[in-house]
Amino acid sequence: MRGSTRTAAVAAALMLTATLPAQAEMLDDAMFTSVRLDRLEYRVGDGSNVAAWDAEAWIGGDYWKLALESEGEYATRPGTFETLENQLVVRRLVSDFFDAKAGIRVDTPAGPDRVYGVIGFQGLAPQWLEVEGDLFLSQKGDLSSRFSAEYDILLTNRLILQPVAEINMAFSDDREIGQGQGITDVEAGLRLSYDLVDRTVAPYIGVHWERKLGETARIARDEGDDTDAVRAVAGVRLLF
Amino acid sequence: MATIVVMAAAFAVAAPARAATYDITIGRITVNHSGTPKSAIAYNGQTPGPTLRFKEGEDVTINVTNTLDESTSIHWHGLILPFRQDGVPGITYDGIAPGETFTYRFPIVQSGTYWFHSHSGMQEQDGAYGSIVIDAADREPFKYDREYVVLLSDSHDHSGDRILANLKKKSDYYNRQQRTVGDFLRDVGENGLSATLRERADWGEMRMMATDIADVQGYTFLVNGKNADDNWTGRFEPGERVRLRFINASAMTYFDVRIPGLDLLVVQADGNNVQPVKVEEFRIGVSETYDVIVRPTESRAYTIFAESMARTGFVRATLAPGADLQAEIPVQRRPPLLTMADMGMDHGSMAGMDHSGMAGMDHSKMAGSGQGSMAGMDHSKMAMGDKPDAFYAPGSGLAPTAAAGGKFLSYADLRAQKPLYPDREATREIELRLTGNMERYFWSINGVKYSDAEPIRLKYGERVRFKFVNETMMTHPMHLHGMWSILDTGKGKWDPVKHTVSVAPGTTLYTETEVDAPGQWAFHCHLMYHMATGMFRKVIVEGGPQSAALSD
Amino acid sequence: MNTRTHSPLVLAAALLLSLSSTAQAAGSHGGGHGASAFGQPAEASAASRTITVTMRDNLFEPESIAVKAGETVRFVLRNEGDFVHEFNIGTAAMHAAHQEEMQMMVEHGVLEPDRINRDRMKMDMGGGKTMQHDDPNSVLLEPGKTGEIVWTFTKATDLEFACNVPGHYDAGMVGKLSIKPKSS
Repeated sequence: MRGSTRTAAVAAALMLTATLPAQAEMLDDAMFTSVRLDRLEYRVGDGSNVAAWDAEAWIGGDYWKLALESEGEYATRPGTFETLENQLVVRRLVSDFFDAKAGIRVDTPAGPDRVYGVIGFQGLAPQWLEVEGDLFLSQKGDLSSRFSAEYDILLTNRLILQPVAEINMAFSDDREIGQGQGITDVEAGLRLSYDLVDRTVAPYIGVHWERKLGETARIARDEGDDTDAVRAVAGVRLLF
Repeated sequence: MATIVVMAAAFAVAAPARAATYDITIGRITVNHSGTPKSAIAYNGQTPGPTLRFKEGEDVTINVTNTLDESTSIHWHGLILPFRQDGVPGITYDGIAPGETFTYRFPIVQSGTYWFHSHSGMQEQDGAYGSIVIDAADREPFKYDREYVVLLSDSHDHSGDRILANLKKKSDYYNRQQRTVGDFLRDVGENGLSATLRERADWGEMRMMATDIADVQGYTFLVNGKNADDNWTGRFEPGERVRLRFINASAMTYFDVRIPGLDLLVVQADGNNVQPVKVEEFRIGVSETYDVIVRPTESRAYTIFAESMARTGFVRATLAPGADLQAEIPVQRRPPLLTMADMGMDHGSMAGMDHSGMAGMDHSKMAGSGQGSMAGMDHSKMAMGDKPDAFYAPGSGLAPTAAAGGKFLSYADLRAQKPLYPDREATREIELRLTGNMERYFWSINGVKYSDAEPIRLKYGERVRFKFVNETMMTHPMHLHGMWSILDTGKGKWDPVKHTVSVAPGTTLYTETEVDAPGQWAFHCHLMYHMATGMFRKVIVEGGPQSAALSD
Repeated sequence: MNTRTHSPLVLAAALLLSLSSTAQAAGSHGGGHGASAFGQPAEASAASRTITVTMRDNLFEPESIAVKAGETVRFVLRNEGDFVHEFNIGTAAMHAAHQEEMQMMVEHGVLEPDRINRDRMKMDMGGGKTMQHDDPNSVLLEPGKTGEIVWTFTKATDLEFACNVPGHYDAGMVGKLSIKPKSS
């Protein structure tokens, strides 16, 4: 009697495990993708006109992502890439609002190429500042860093004024690429965008200012380049 | 084993019940709710699907055929049944593959208003839902002359999959109620610069938005599949009692519902009768049901008005004594704003939900919380409705107020008409902190997503007490499958028996469950995108009758 | 096991009070105010017939009653439900007013779903007001209890017998009481 009960219980347990789905089909650990062009724009003003972009694409889940970040500035005269930079980084969520990241950066503008190792962070700081900081170590052993911040001012829920600022620093000279020790350059922009189609397509106009500083500015002047420029911009922000 | 099977068979023979067979085919149709046609998932060619009318005591057989090119499932929301019939892929079965027909068989052991929906992916958002009405075996404790299902839902131009993908790209993708420069200037005008800056800084410090009440906006709201323009209409003869079976089949939207000119007699919540209580307005959480009886005496039309809790939109329907009649559509009230209380910044008075401690709440603050329409309200009319709802944090911006100053239904007003279980001490308490990452858009319980979590193990025969602590700023309708949730309102044996309990931000809420259903069950937030991103647990009930565990 | 809810003496006294005093205590409910318009309480011995009304959750059996003007009727009321129920003779307007009073009784803990808190009922609610439920045209019964009203109907009119426990009237616990003219 007791034996048969136990047998039944075991059989029941077996049936339970045998016929139950092995794995829940849940989306909570699914992979997602994002392709985003924060800036795709044309700049007109001091010096050459410039076509520029700042984009990222990622694939991954909530904690880990593999991201490709790309930015470049193409001067129409003389028709060269002033900057052309691609990063492949792994991001890991380290707090509610921040990712840490590590990876590789490859610069292939006009002039000498550089390959860097990258570590950094990005996320949303208090008071709604989107911030990003990176530390780069080039294959030549030069250490540099970048910090950027942006903020959305909602004129309406679709008309958005976005100030951005970026500062670059080098811890040593790399004269081949025109980089002097110290703060190398700063950039600032102000863009007024309108969310035309959801958050997918948002055309904008604005102004972009950049300035080389210190040793970097001296190198530029020596080579006959401008050290600062103000340009009007028109472009579109895309998110897929 | 053989003995058990024989016994089960004998039981089936011994208790011959009426049997009914239903056929449901799941497929795609094109609908147009917003002006933009879209593909929707339909049951028998319609969304919402047909009303399934069961009779308490019958055995039902439901053949479900999947003509989609993806796997699907049907979950019978609120029905007490053997767990293998519960319809949750990954927990109770493998789902229904494309081209396959799955046959559900279960006895109907209850009565009331329920609903059914897909538990696969985002299909429910895309239209895969319908109503269930179960006629009681015995006479009900209220009278009515006619009845209607009033199924509320939210339809989006984007598919559920696309919405989820967009939320992952940008968590405020669909939030178009964010505060603007104009709002800032208005607040400076009303409250002064320093107060406004301080208030904005408080929110900014947390990186939270006072307007973040509905994660997903851009919905067209529907009653029985019809938008406000199409105006679903139910007929009545003046003097008749009309039973309205409200079901919130929305993916993400809470509604505040009223019928200007009529008192609403609430007689049932989540399928279980409650002692009748008369209100002007009620809030229905996602996946809840409320049955109300109205008695229109005038020969004119009345508007059933359902505003989303975040005031992102509304839907109206009409009760009318004749064709082509309609009543005035009320003006939508201003959106509420969350307060620091909703952020759980004032925990002191919340601990243990001290109802008495709420009396000292500052009412003036409520009026300032963006509810412009409250200003002209006649406080003398509020009578006992004046008491703040104990199921919101003291000072909450979400605590509702009835439009014309009458009574707004609170969970505290719900008393079971017939308690399903004897009142007894719970054997243990399980704490469930409702957590999430708003910015990256994933949700969790006790900080752990479904995929990373161990199941909750319950023992058959115990009475477990769940303590829900809402640490987020969203309102979460928590739904336990297979077993009832007895909502602790402090009324002992009269505590209402529900399948879904809504936990407001900054509050702690308790339910108790008599663990009387063996097998494994889903337990989750019923906001679609919270559930899908991890605010979900598997519950395993260990022990209990083997016949139940084995039955299919 | 019958519980006489009101002794005729108390009923008579209460009626006298309500007739003589216009400043009836607000806490005590005035559902009886208008009752004298269509009749008055009487002695059981004066009743020409007995009508038994069963109270269930939430309905009466029977649901309509017809009497004649001048008739004295003994109503025997059995509460076979699980909740407290009332049997109250009056007009729809009287019932509506009485429902508000009974709502107060619920809010003050005098009336619980399945019992009457008689201690609280007698408690001073301030200003000498109490929550006594002692109108002659009404009886309030706990589950399982039985009570009665003996009433002489004086004129032809249409009334309702109703349970004014909050929610019950609206749920359908109300019946038609038609008082036919003497001649018919």
